[in-house]
Amino acid sequence: MKRLIALIRREYWENKGALRTTPLVIGGIYIAFLLMSIFTTAHFDNEMYTFKEAVRLLASQSPEFRATHGYEVMLGSSLFFTVVLAFVVFFYLLGALYDDRKDRSILFWKSLPASDTLTIASKLLTAMIVAPFIFWAVFVLTQIVMAGIASIMVLSVGENPWTLFLSVVNPLKAWAMLLASYLASSIWFLPIYGWLLLVSAFAPRIPLLFALLPPVIFAILQIWIKFLKTFTVNNNLFGLVGDWVANSPAILTAEIRDGEGMLALGATLNHDFDHAVTLTNILDRLFSLQMLAGLGVAAVFLTGALWLRHRATES
Amino acid sequence: MTPIISARGLTKRYGRTLAVDHIDMEIPAGRIVGLIGPNGAGKTSALKAILGLATFDGELSVLGKDPSRDRASLMEDVCFIADVAVLPRWIRVWQLIDTTEQIHPGFSRETCMQYLSHTKITLDHKVKQLSKGMVAQLHLALVMAIDAKLLVLDEPTLGLDILYRKQFYTSLLNDYFDEQRTILITTHQVEEIEHILTDLIFIQDGKIALEASMEEVESRYVELMVKPEFAEQARALNPMYERELFGRHIFLFDNVERDRLAELGEIHTPSVADLFVATMKRGDS
Repeated sequence: MKRLIALIRREYWENKGALRTTPLVIGGIYIAFLLMSIFTTAHFDNEMYTFKEAVRLLASQSPEFRATHGYEVMLGSSLFFTVVLAFVVFFYLLGALYDDRKDRSILFWKSLPASDTLTIASKLLTAMIVAPFIFWAVFVLTQIVMAGIASIMVLSVGENPWTLFLSVVNPLKAWAMLLASYLASSIWFLPIYGWLLLVSAFAPRIPLLFALLPPVIFAILQIWIKFLKTFTVNNNLFGLVGDWVANSPAILTAEIRDGEGMLALGATLNHDFDHAVTLTNILDRLFSLQMLAGLGVAAVFLTGALWLRHRATES
Repeated sequence: MTPIISARGLTKRYGRTLAVDHIDMEIPAGRIVGLIGPNGAGKTSALKAILGLATFDGELSVLGKDPSRDRASLMEDVCFIADVAVLPRWIRVWQLIDTTEQIHPGFSRETCMQYLSHTKITLDHKVKQLSKGMVAQLHLALVMAIDAKLLVLDEPTLGLDILYRKQFYTSLLNDYFDEQRTILITTHQVEEIEHILTDLIFIQDGKIALEASMEEVESRYVELMVKPEFAEQARALNPMYERELFGRHIFLFDNVERDRLAELGEIHTPSVADLFVATMKRGDS
């Protein structure tokens, strides 16, 4: 356990830029945009008249209305964090078993009494837990700062932020839901993480190319053969990966329901699962047949990555 | 006592070429063994097999373990510096020490800091900010702070200046080495290590060309320096190798009576470098 933690810390140190600086920059951008919009309003709005009206209008709505919409806004604003997190994890995993082979520092790491299994576990856990957790924590921090700024604004026009939204909206619920969705997505995307680690352990150079080219070629062949046989183009690897993302427990899109926009898990392109953002729906995905098959695929890829890692120092 | 390293028929193939060709060797504890061979002779391949960094054929046991299966647990008692220093460039010195301390049960931070105090390296330095020599110093400090039974050094002082090379071998001998420890070392700078070695292994084309303790070397090999008029007589005694220097003929003999040689000219114990050249030349012919 001590060794695993030391290895995970080493991953954090090596990838501080991606894992820590990136979410901080996004949080900074959120806050900067908020401040910019305040200054823009203050600049054009005569004595904040429109803003005051907007706050009064909001205050006149029922607490239930404010609670639901506040919750949706809080969760919905995580989208940019989530998308960037996906990119960070993608490139982190591609480099995880490649970079130290490239600069030959693998010879140092292999001189330490840490097994290849433990090394791969540390990299997988960094992608599955450490990265989402840091993004989540910075997101929470950003929202606290933004709530503070908003409260000052509301106070400045003579309204009470406590009764308006602070006491009405339950931030813990939104934050907990986001964290649950992040961690569930980490499990859901294990087959893809496994593939990336396999490529990372295998690629002699340019892992990105090796990660994308084989599936693309495979899918194109599938489409072509299918087209020759049946003149249809469904059921290929593109569709499978697309469905996988659409079915994922990450909060990625919104859908229109009963005339109202609602946040959705994945994308509502198909109806294999219920897309409403609830804990039950998140768990439903994790205990599905798809997940079981995905874990099987992930196990194959990870075993391959381990096998390659074991032989990585052969010249 | 069981040997630290024992190999039987150790073989390493790369495609159709044999990098290591059915080597048998036994290295007992408490020795400093020089593994010496020309480039491409299979030294690094043999070391990689010993360190669990490469698969191999044949039998190999290091500290009673199979290195290809038990690398992680083997590394608790084995340290190595492979080729040139290969420390990750992004890491800071304190992070490196922290990580090694957490992962390695035999690592002593105190000892490491003591070695580092003789250098200009600070804890806050990043490896990429250090010169090549300083990186090697850092790596050596880390490794020498580990209480290991076997230390494997593959060209450990490459890129270091002569002052530090001398200092390194001195502290290796005085502070690090004892009867419990075994050091396996390869280098091209044979002259620098010959006075600390207890055993020699010459390797050529994947095979062992010579395996002997330094005492055996001293008793077996004789270098004879003669004036030109005695050259024919010396040649008749079947020397391994002959060269000329300042008009003198120098011969190297394997297992020839010293008294007979002494009659022809001056006799010495050959240097490891000369013995190496002679052995390689004999192997080529």
